[in-house]
Amino acid sequence: MVAETETRQGLDVASSVPLLQARDVTFGYNRQELLHEVSLAIQTGEMVGLLGPNGSGKTTLLRLLSGIFQPRNGQILLEGRELRQWGRRDVAQRIAVVPQELHMPFAFTVKHMVEMGRTPFIRSFFGSQGSRDREAVQEAMAIAGVADLAERIFNELSGGERQRVLVAMALAQEPSVLLLDEPTAHLDIKYQIETLELVRRLNREHKVTVLAALHDLNLAARYFPRLILFQRGIVADSNPAEVLDPALLRRVYGVDVQVGIMRGSAHLSVLPPVLEEKRGLPERPVVHVIAGGGSGEVMMRALADAHIPFVAGALNIGDSDHTLALHLATEVITEQPYAPISSAVLDQVRASLRSVALLILCPVPIGAGNLALLREALFAAQRGLSVIMLEEQVSEGQEESLEAILPRDYTEGKGTRLLMLLRQAGATVVTSVSEALECAKKQLADETFLSLQ
Amino acid sequence: MKTETPFSRSLLEQSQRRRYIPLPIILCVLSISLLLALLLSVSVGSTAIPLATIVKVVLNGTRLFHFVPSWDSSIEVIIWNVRMPVVVGSALVGAALAVAGALFQGILRNPLADPFLIGTSSGAALGATLSFILPVAALGTLFPATAVLAFVGAILTVLFVYALARVQGQTPVVTLLLAGVVVNSVLVALQTLLLSLFPRADFPFQALFNWLSGEIAVTSWYPVLIAAVLVLLGLVLALSLTRVLDALALGEESATALGLNVEAWKFGIVVVASLMTAAAVSISGLIGFVGLVTPHVMRLLLGPEHRSLLPASALGGAIFLILADLLSRTVIAPAVLPVGIFTALVGAPFFLFLLRRSKREYRW
Repeated sequence: MVAETETRQGLDVASSVPLLQARDVTFGYNRQELLHEVSLAIQTGEMVGLLGPNGSGKTTLLRLLSGIFQPRNGQILLEGRELRQWGRRDVAQRIAVVPQELHMPFAFTVKHMVEMGRTPFIRSFFGSQGSRDREAVQEAMAIAGVADLAERIFNELSGGERQRVLVAMALAQEPSVLLLDEPTAHLDIKYQIETLELVRRLNREHKVTVLAALHDLNLAARYFPRLILFQRGIVADSNPAEVLDPALLRRVYGVDVQVGIMRGSAHLSVLPPVLEEKRGLPERPVVHVIAGGGSGEVMMRALADAHIPFVAGALNIGDSDHTLALHLATEVITEQPYAPISSAVLDQVRASLRSVALLILCPVPIGAGNLALLREALFAAQRGLSVIMLEEQVSEGQEESLEAILPRDYTEGKGTRLLMLLRQAGATVVTSVSEALECAKKQLADETFLSLQ
Repeated sequence: MKTETPFSRSLLEQSQRRRYIPLPIILCVLSISLLLALLLSVSVGSTAIPLATIVKVVLNGTRLFHFVPSWDSSIEVIIWNVRMPVVVGSALVGAALAVAGALFQGILRNPLADPFLIGTSSGAALGATLSFILPVAALGTLFPATAVLAFVGAILTVLFVYALARVQGQTPVVTLLLAGVVVNSVLVALQTLLLSLFPRADFPFQALFNWLSGEIAVTSWYPVLIAAVLVLLGLVLALSLTRVLDALALGEESATALGLNVEAWKFGIVVVASLMTAAAVSISGLIGFVGLVTPHVMRLLLGPEHRSLLPASALGGAIFLILADLLSRTVIAPAVLPVGIFTALVGAPFFLFLLRRSKREYRW
């Protein structure tokens, strides 16, 4: 029966304009960017879970989608029209937000709290309610199961009851989209299940589209047919089976987990690792890739296809190579968006370069921020590490003019000089990915041969 | 749950339900009390006037009734031109300060907020001080310079504080409070500086002291009428804001999600509250405590919904100040003490009594 509902929803989904959509949305509080070019679309009737570690920008994304924050670049579209063009009231009549927690300074009753959900509909000067308003409030309280609590003081309720009141308040807005920010964060397991059952009932019976930020991967797998894994940008957006991939989770959350179906259950479960067993551990990476700005895309795909485990980094969050590496690499060394490579991150790169057998240097644009990476590469090469330098195809006649500064060098020749030194230290220069891959396989074979001897 | 008998269930609910006095009842009681306080306050004074006489004189004043005067004509002068302006003025000031206090407490989500918090008091005090120093005693013949300058000082200061606290189109509450405190101390320093620089032999220090401690110095109807227009306008606007005030209690983010333009409403509420405060200050000086405590007392009796809180606070504040003014005129008659003394001396113990009597923890 579950499958049936889902297919029906799937049919609805395909034909229409997305109900809520983000297009290349960039946002930051000051100069630092928190979200970089996020795009996603939610169709009418969907129930979507938003996953991501602490500080990954889930709450910020929800605030952008509800119009509380304005994106710095890009657009948020509601029913195909930009959020800014809707009036604030009109948005509030369509999108309701359930906050994680609500601090209420006054001793308001539950009924009064739910009545506040009617705010976007009330236009009379002294704010009196119409009969439609009263009906909507009664209905919202009945659906959320808080009718019995109507005269109680909100502050004196238990956590689970409070969460239901907040849902009732949102329902009084008669929204088409419900955005929930970690609705189960402060609840015990009983209330977590109760709250999510309620949300699912709203989605199925009352046709409310749901986007909920969640911490609990297991509950997410159980209740949400579509999951978005988020870390300052969308890492994965698919069904639970694909998103809850142990390798992906390990890279995003930085912890080993096991994913499987428990006996007697119909859903995926995510479990902490069993420490004694080493079988969960991935292959040791043998190649380090320095890339960025899309320069490593083809190379990383080629390595992944050839089943050569590799480390990528350091890469800035938001860089397209970073997002790709999260999917393909065994390990990703991560730096904050747009930040120069910090010394702590450089240490990680150094450690990785000591453990791998080969470094592949992609034709990355060189700036003040990543010059240090090239220096690390040079030290490693001088220490004896094999280095393959992937260069863009150079037209004939230019080949000899190595003294000239490369066009991708924004450091007034410092970067070009480091590349020269790398060549002198014995780096192999190649001009195509296939050549690089052949070369890498050969180097690695030699390495294995040596280590076997 | 199912096993509970209906009886035990209803008992449980009763104990968990906070029971407030219904709004119509409290409004009736307060209105009647206000009327009685008005009459009492007009009747008591250097010459006691019987209540019946007051009623008849006032009803005659409406020109709908024609009671045959059984009283001295000077009584009519005392009622109409001496006592009524003061008593009506007190009622207006009390109502204005109490409502402004409720507005500030609501918007700042802070139980310690009062109408003077974000600069009104120091601005008005500086204006008043200037009026004592400047050579003009009155603007035209109708308005005392003190009233006008205090009003202008209060409004300008609030606007200045608000402008200071505004960062990138937002006015965070904390910044607003801090800017208010800082500007307050700067203006107090300026006021002290002025007083030190102009040590005129004939400087009316006593008059300034009285003004600062709060005195309802009304000698004609005109300032009272102007204040009445402003206060009533403020009241109507405030009553239209009750729903917004309730929603703002959810926090600015949730209020935005409910479709409110939070920054615009916040500014509107500050303007209404400041207008009422400035109108009050212009005829009364700085009267403390009414604005802080009246809304709390009403919350204890009625609950925190602004729809009932605001009208009840207006009536309660009016009654409170009429009675305080009555005390200030009678305790060491014929001398008149500043009202501010009695609002604190009587109001504080009463508030503490209510606070301790309510059995639950007071969550305002």
